[in-house]
Order: sequence, then C-alpha cells, then structure tokens
Amino acid sequence: MKGVLLSGGTGSRLRPITHTGPKQLVPVANKPVLKYAVEDFKEAGITEIGVVLGHKGRDEIQELLGDGSEYGVDITYIVQGEPLGLAHAAGCARDFVGDDDFVMYLGDNILKSGITDLVESFESGEYGAGIALQEVDDPQAFGIADIDESGNVTQLVEKPDDPPTNLALIGMYVFSPAVFDAIDELEPSWRGELEITDAIQSLLEDGYEIDSQIVTGWWKDTGKPEDILEANRLVLEDKDLLTEGIIEEGAKTDGRIELAESAVVEDGAVVRGPVSIAENVIIKDGTYVGPYTSIGADSTLENIHIENSVVIGGSRLTASGRIVDSLLGRNANVESADELLPEGRRLVVGENSQLKL
Amino acid sequence: MRIITHTCPTCGTIVAANELEDNRVMKCPGLGCKEVVRFEDLPEEAREYFLEHKEQYQI
Repeated sequence: MKGVLLSGGTGSRLRPITHTGPKQLVPVANKPVLKYAVEDFKEAGITEIGVVLGHKGRDEIQELLGDGSEYGVDITYIVQGEPLGLAHAAGCARDFVGDDDFVMYLGDNILKSGITDLVESFESGEYGAGIALQEVDDPQAFGIADIDESGNVTQLVEKPDDPPTNLALIGMYVFSPAVFDAIDELEPSWRGELEITDAIQSLLEDGYEIDSQIVTGWWKDTGKPEDILEANRLVLEDKDLLTEGIIEEGAKTDGRIELAESAVVEDGAVVRGPVSIAENVIIKDGTYVGPYTSIGADSTLENIHIENSVVIGGSRLTASGRIVDSLLGRNANVESADELLPEGRRLVVGENSQLKL
Repeated sequence: MRIITHTCPTCGTIVAANELEDNRVMKCPGLGCKEVVRFEDLPEEAREYFLEHKEQYQI
C-alpha cells in the first residue's frame, strides 16, 4: 500500500494567509496541517508517499517534508501543475503507484481517528476502492454515498437535491490500480476538472465493489480561517500537551499547557489551557492567553488578552485589547496606539484581510 | 482523459505534461535535483497527443 498526499490548490478561501504560502502549511496546534497527514500514513503502516504539488508553495512543502526521512517515510514528489481535479492528481501518480493499492489523502484535511480503519477495511475484501464517509447535517452541500447493509457503496451523487443518505465523502480514499483505467476514460466535468467521484462511479458501473468506512471522530477540512480555528480547538482538546518551558513565580497557569522548552510565561501573566506555545515565545506581564489558543514561535505578548485564536508566529502582540476567534499570519503585529496622536487605529492591511473592529 | 507524465531519471520526481509544456526546458523540480527535464523527453506520440488536446490540460 502506498500513499498519495494532495498538496496543491490555491488556498483562495484562506487569503491573506495563503498569499505567502500554501494552505497545507498553516499550523494547527503549532504543527503544519500537512504533517498530520504524514503521521496518519505512517501510523497506518504506509511509508512510501507521493506528494502531489500544484503551482503554489512547492518549495515550502519540499523544505518541510524533505525526502521524508525525518518522519520515517520515503517521499516522491509529483508535480501536477494545473489544478485539473482530484482524479487528474491521482492519475499523475500512476507511475509512482505502479501495481499497488494506494490511499489518497487531501493534505488540508485533519481527522481524529487517522486512516488505519479505512485501510484495514479495504484490505479485508476485494474492493476496487474504499471511501471514508461522515454523517453531515447538510447533505445537499456534499458528495453523498448510498450504501447497502454490508457497507458497500451502491451510488454516489454530487450535492443532491434529494439526498439518499446523510453520508458525505470526506476526502480520504483507498484505490486499487483499477482506478487508473477508470480515470483514463473520464472526460472533464463542467468545471474543467477530472472528478474523483466520477472515477469511483465508473468503478461501480464496471462491477467493482466499493468499500465504505464511516468516520465517527471529528474531521475538518481546513480550507477557511474558521476551520483552522475549529481544527485547532479539536486538536488541543485531544492532544497530550507537554510543559517544558519556564513558568515564572507569580505567573498563573491553569489547565493543559504545551510550552516549548525555550518559551517563558513571565511573572504577572495568566495562561489558561488548553493552549500550545511554541519555541522562543515570551508571555509577559499583563497578558492573558485563554483556552484553545496556539502561539507560534518567536512571538512576544504583553498586556493583551487572547483566546480561541491561532498566531502563526513571529508576532508582537502588545495592545491592551481583547483578541478572540482570530487567525494572525506570520510576523503580523498588533501594538498599542494609546500614546499616538491623532487618536485612532493604524492599520497596514494586506489584500483579502478581514478585520472586525 | 489521458494523463501524460515524465519521471526524472535521476530523482524519480514525476512531472505532468502540462508543466513540461509550460516550461519546455526546466530544472527538475525534485528536491536538490540538478537534472534538466524537457517537454521533448516525452515520447513523440505523447507530445503530439498533448498538443492536439491541449485545451483539456488547461483550466
């Protein structure tokens, strides 16, 4: 079994954060989203991974993952170039996959339970493909599968008006090499892409059995800022958090706190977990860091109140206000204008930024 | 739809034909690889097919 990790896409819904990097490298609990996928592959016993790259962020992704040896896996890069759809991405991996089965994993997705159950279920039978499904409240917004009593898929429908079930495809697939012949027969859809649901439907029509695995733990597509915050909350809720840094006497801490060895919570600061605080972060006097917050490396916080937020790193946050439900890009600073005249806020805001003042 | 790729003989990085045709001659995008890859590295028949159906490979 091999792995194909999709790392293309423009990240348009995550602008301005993705103006300067790929969406798959946005950190959740101080770890790039893409690393969770690599760990899930390894946990499932898959160590040969093809990473599919689009136009954006190739160098950054290769810099992060390297040849995979740091993570105990072997990585081959596959340059898809034009974003011609998930089935095109899979098709580009054909020479890498060869005659093996493979898991295809969307690199901006995170799921609590990993992919081991999906792989084991697929391997227990003679399937053409296996798909991960999750119950959703709004099936009209998703690709939906209908399954029989043994869990085999009988039908796939894209965003149906009258959904047969509420079981949505969540972007984790296992394929036999038979999918490549199905992809060869596909034509681009109305949006110009080769659709993976069409490839699976083709396998069904050719008589292949399609396995399904209903994922009961949480799953997040981290395509939008609010999804990053939600994923951060879910990961911090579950993760073992290790306090290695310095908590000075006079600092108040409560709950589970991940504190990197070189990070400091100074006298007069308050930190309430679960939070993640990365390397070389200083939490100074008068600061409150509240639950479900991740502070990226090389940041300094003073006098600020922040909670349920993600600070990617390199930030200086020293305004005496409250920041909630926020995503701050690398090297973004929020400083006080209290002593500046004329009174008022000073903003240097990039394209596609969103501020609620 | 036929998907055409080229595999770098040095590092194994796979490059889709649309990327090769965009650049014609390019340094292999594989990590640290110094190989030069070209659209002409594809078999002639594959190149002709790609160029005849080029609109399919653009979005």
